[in-house]
Amino acid sequence: MSDVDGWHVAEGDLRDYARGELAVPLLWSADAHLTGCAHCRGVLAELSDPAALDAGWERLDAELDAPRPGWFEGLLVRCGVGDGTARLLAATPVLRRSWFGAVAAVLVTTFLVAFSAGAVERPALFLALAPLLPLAGVAVAYGPVMDPTYEMAVVAPVHGFRLLMIRTVAVLVVALGVNGLASLAMPGYGLTALAWLLPGLALTTAGLALTPRLGPVGGPVAVGAVWVALLVLASAERGAGAPLAPFTAAGQGVSAGLVLVGAGFLFVFRDRFDVLGRGAV
Amino acid sequence: MTPTVSASGLSLHYGRTRALDDVSLRLTPGVTGLLGPNGAGKTTLLRVLATAVPADRGAFTVLGHDPATSRGRQEVRRRLGYLPQTPGFHPDFTAFEFVDYVAILKELAGRGERHREVRRVLDEVGLRDVRGRRIRKLSGGMRQRVALAAALVGDPGFLVLDEPTVGLDPEQRMRFRELIAGAGEGRTVLLSTHQTEDVAMLCHRVVVMARGAVRFDGTPAELTARAGGRVWSSAGRDPGAKAGWRTGGGSFRNVGDPPAGAELAEPTLEDGYLLVLDGDGDTAEVAA
Repeated sequence: MSDVDGWHVAEGDLRDYARGELAVPLLWSADAHLTGCAHCRGVLAELSDPAALDAGWERLDAELDAPRPGWFEGLLVRCGVGDGTARLLAATPVLRRSWFGAVAAVLVTTFLVAFSAGAVERPALFLALAPLLPLAGVAVAYGPVMDPTYEMAVVAPVHGFRLLMIRTVAVLVVALGVNGLASLAMPGYGLTALAWLLPGLALTTAGLALTPRLGPVGGPVAVGAVWVALLVLASAERGAGAPLAPFTAAGQGVSAGLVLVGAGFLFVFRDRFDVLGRGAV
Repeated sequence: MTPTVSASGLSLHYGRTRALDDVSLRLTPGVTGLLGPNGAGKTTLLRVLATAVPADRGAFTVLGHDPATSRGRQEVRRRLGYLPQTPGFHPDFTAFEFVDYVAILKELAGRGERHREVRRVLDEVGLRDVRGRRIRKLSGGMRQRVALAAALVGDPGFLVLDEPTVGLDPEQRMRFRELIAGAGEGRTVLLSTHQTEDVAMLCHRVVVMARGAVRFDGTPAELTARAGGRVWSSAGRDPGAKAGWRTGGGSFRNVGDPPAGAELAEPTLEDGYLLVLDGDGDTAEVAA
């Protein structure tokens, strides 16, 4: 990164830097390098007009003064997430815990399914548990119990619903991704192994839709309880060798319908996420 | 003078509990103190004015915007600084990172501009030297200053502070009062407090609440004047007094309707506050 190893910032990047147009993470590399490399500072001076150079030094001073993002936040930025959004996500440590929890739960479930003789033909356990993971993740990603700055966030100009959606999408990307990988690890089940997807989205949407009324934990817990009860009922009523009702074509259709209804409900009542829930008062 | 906040008939119930009862007030630039015992409705009023909780009835505007509409609420929030009663922190964040996080919530666009603003507010509360320190390693007073810095992001025109001096030692409290006084220059500050000292030292105006209603609205001098001729000293606690306590000198200070020939004493803001509450507050909460 310095004269010692012979590396220098490319002239094009220095030109962008001088214009204030160099994007992170290249901007951070350039900032760090320029402090220790007289050669690059000289090139930068030739490329810049004095006013722009002064602005650049001011920017450099500010960059040096600002803290480096943590590994998690830095990872999100490198994955293309905006630095503001990355900070909003990094500000929810419990989100990371929910992700790790989702990974662990899926691994355990996959292991049980893979090594359970009775489950070889019907991955019922995996299909029953997989939809609960995104629901649980969303439940712990937002709200007064899990977010210590919830009250400050509610009165901030950023819409509460937008904040909720940012965190929900982050949870869904990880939880659905992990579930998807687990499904790929069970190729013997074919497309049946993906039958958790629509119920998972339906449960998550229903949990969110109930949040203004039951709270960010109560809503998902209620939906999770209904899901378990439904599975118990379906299990008692199904015929020998038949799949559980939620994983049949009709069940998938009902799930898709629930997703649409829940999404519409969320859109119509999005302002309800913009004030403190009564449970937080 | 055009009021920053104009509220009329605000009422709010939690179940059968009446948290706010027909509250009307107008706030102008400077620091206004909000005094009252526990359960008086101070925090509820602050949350309503900060747009965190909608009132059941009544209306108010902040800097000309009506928070009853989604757009109006957004405009109010862009001009609002809020320090809640128990500000929460992400303990793994540094002071800089936390204030930066709040700046993102306040929609400050652009990393450079945002960081300039974060440095400005941290300088303003005297935390420049510890900006890189993790919040979990900061003292209670410093954490409270971090929360104040977060409230000051974006140079808000209306600053709502909910009991910011609670839990601070006397030196920290004095330092914090200086900061509040500075923040009150050129902007409207609503300061909820249990401490009549805070009001006496900081506020150009004081509002006293009890049981969800406004009991007094005026200057600290007017509140003190309420106790004129109604404070007296005696060797023992006067049973006819509305409140009485032993002073450091050993005699009793009584407030209420003095008996004939009583030795009248100079009234204080605290005496006026006790008389305005008139039995609605827990007098033990008031520092003697």
